[in-house]
Amino acid sequence: MKQAYRVLAFLVAAGVMLQAAAVAYGMFGLLKWVENGGTLDQSTELTPDLGGYTGFSLHATGGIFVVPLIALLFLISSFFGKVPGGVKWALIVFGLTVLQVALGLFSHEVAGLGWLHGLNALLVFGTAVMAGMRVTRAVANKVVAAEPVPAATVS
Amino acid sequence: MHLNEGTRRRLKIVLPIVATVAIVAPLAWLWQASLLPKSYSVMDMGYSDFGGGPGNEPAASDSHGHGHAASPGTRSVVDLTADAARQADVRVDLVAAQADLVIGGKSVAGYTLNGTSPGPTITARQGQLVEVHLRNTSVPTGITLHWHGYDVPAAMDGVAGVTQDEVPVGGEFTYRFVADRTGTYWYHSHQVSNEQVMGGLFGALIVLPVDADRAGNDVIATAHTYGGKKTINGAATDLRVAAKAGQRVRVRVINTDNGSIEAWASVPYRVLAVDGYDVNEPADVPGRSVTLTGGARADLQVTMPSDGTAVRVQVSKGTAVILGDGDPPPPPQPAGDLDLLSYGSPEALGFDAAKANRHFDYSVGRRPGFVKGRPGLLWSINGHLYPNVPMYVVREGDVAIMRIDNHSGDVHPMHLHGHHAVVLARNGVAATGSPWWVDSLNVGDNQSFEIAFVANNPGVWMDHCHNLKHAADGMVAHLMYEDVSTPFRIGGAADNQPE
Repeated sequence: MKQAYRVLAFLVAAGVMLQAAAVAYGMFGLLKWVENGGTLDQSTELTPDLGGYTGFSLHATGGIFVVPLIALLFLISSFFGKVPGGVKWALIVFGLTVLQVALGLFSHEVAGLGWLHGLNALLVFGTAVMAGMRVTRAVANKVVAAEPVPAATVS
Repeated sequence: MHLNEGTRRRLKIVLPIVATVAIVAPLAWLWQASLLPKSYSVMDMGYSDFGGGPGNEPAASDSHGHGHAASPGTRSVVDLTADAARQADVRVDLVAAQADLVIGGKSVAGYTLNGTSPGPTITARQGQLVEVHLRNTSVPTGITLHWHGYDVPAAMDGVAGVTQDEVPVGGEFTYRFVADRTGTYWYHSHQVSNEQVMGGLFGALIVLPVDADRAGNDVIATAHTYGGKKTINGAATDLRVAAKAGQRVRVRVINTDNGSIEAWASVPYRVLAVDGYDVNEPADVPGRSVTLTGGARADLQVTMPSDGTAVRVQVSKGTAVILGDGDPPPPPQPAGDLDLLSYGSPEALGFDAAKANRHFDYSVGRRPGFVKGRPGLLWSINGHLYPNVPMYVVREGDVAIMRIDNHSGDVHPMHLHGHHAVVLARNGVAATGSPWWVDSLNVGDNQSFEIAFVANNPGVWMDHCHNLKHAADGMVAHLMYEDVSTPFRIGGAADNQPE
């Protein structure tokens, strides 16, 4: 279960990386599309014709479904993982993920929240990596601890 | 508290399981509760809202009612038709097909009616009986035709699963209604409507006064976005129309998109009609645009300058109608839009809104939850998510007031089928201009409207957001007459999916 915890933690981090990459591609794709004569207004629909479509749809699906689901599974794995402090870290990652989804959704109403959405993404990424690394470190420590202690030399 | 070793070990096993169940169970329950049956009647959806009118208690004539106005009606929508014995004056055959459209040199997957999109304009004179025979040759998800803004008999409203079954490939359906009102309207599919309207299954419906002389001074401008390209009448170029100096031209703008558009002109213009209904004593509008919400229409009248210069009527920034010869530069978009609340002069409404006996609320919000098994931040109506939304119940002859308020963070073009409503007030400020009749009302975030209508068209009617994406996400309620029921079902063998 420790390994599941570790893998899920890194999957959350990987998800954040993909989210950032997708939305960046989306923005540039959209700008290029507008440059080439596309019109962006209220009637513009998220269809494959839209520039940057792949980026936006990945970001939307990833942000509302995939990453929260991984974070939820990560939290559940922490209950069984017996990682010291594991539940605490999983709660932090999960809480920040929920905050991230909320910020993403409410940024559509209050654009200023977009600043926090971008910054909080780094927090989700950072805490998820930390949580994963803690298992790696804990396992390493255990291995070190399990090595036979050299016997005191008797002169 | 002291726990012995055994208890502690057991807790170590049980606690994680309890925590997991505590998280997963409520989510699973919410998800499961949002799933819809394979087939259901809109009459069983949500809860009855009688608006303070009769219906809570069994009506005097109703011997079996037990507080359920949604009990089986005595009339079926299928029987609410135009006079079957009357001969049609205007006959139109429409053939729907799946096709690749060429928009601005680019191929866009879509649909056609009689080989084109938009489909043919249906024109009638006031009082004529219109008969439209629809055939579906290749639209795989089926099709219907809804007469947007035209208050047709209920059986002809064209809503899959509410007033008819969708017309499958190889199927056909005949729509018949009397064109009793003049004005600018449109028709579109109301089966998988978001996708099908976006793909081009729509056209214009124009009803002219009996004596109107249309020659040369009447232009239809149907605005639509195909695959991200703005068009007028299906072409991604400006629409050029000949016009002589001094001539008065009526430009009928129809917004078939989900989002609102602005229209304005290079010269002062008048708004002759909104959503098909004439404005009383419209004045010149200088320096303002007119907002057309999703599904709305506005008839703009411009007078060609005496010096012969051409006139541009902008239909949003991207496209324009150019009247006359020449290439006038695009007029800058006005900073503000025309306030229809105080435009034109008041006149009698034809009914007394103060005598309203139904008072409904249609409050639009947004909250996290599940709809149809999909999680998201979803539109709520009076705090509830689809399908737990109100069924507004009226009796024929009632006067109803509906208070629409929006605190959802987005704009909603609210569209009530089968009726026109008049705007009484916006944000508590009473209307002072011409009666502002609407079928498609732009309700902005943090806005509230008070509208009134007369229950004079029995049926079961949709009352939904005409941003059809929002409708597909569950922003759909219904208005029903207490004695009318529908045999049609959403889903089911016919696979009716109105949104």
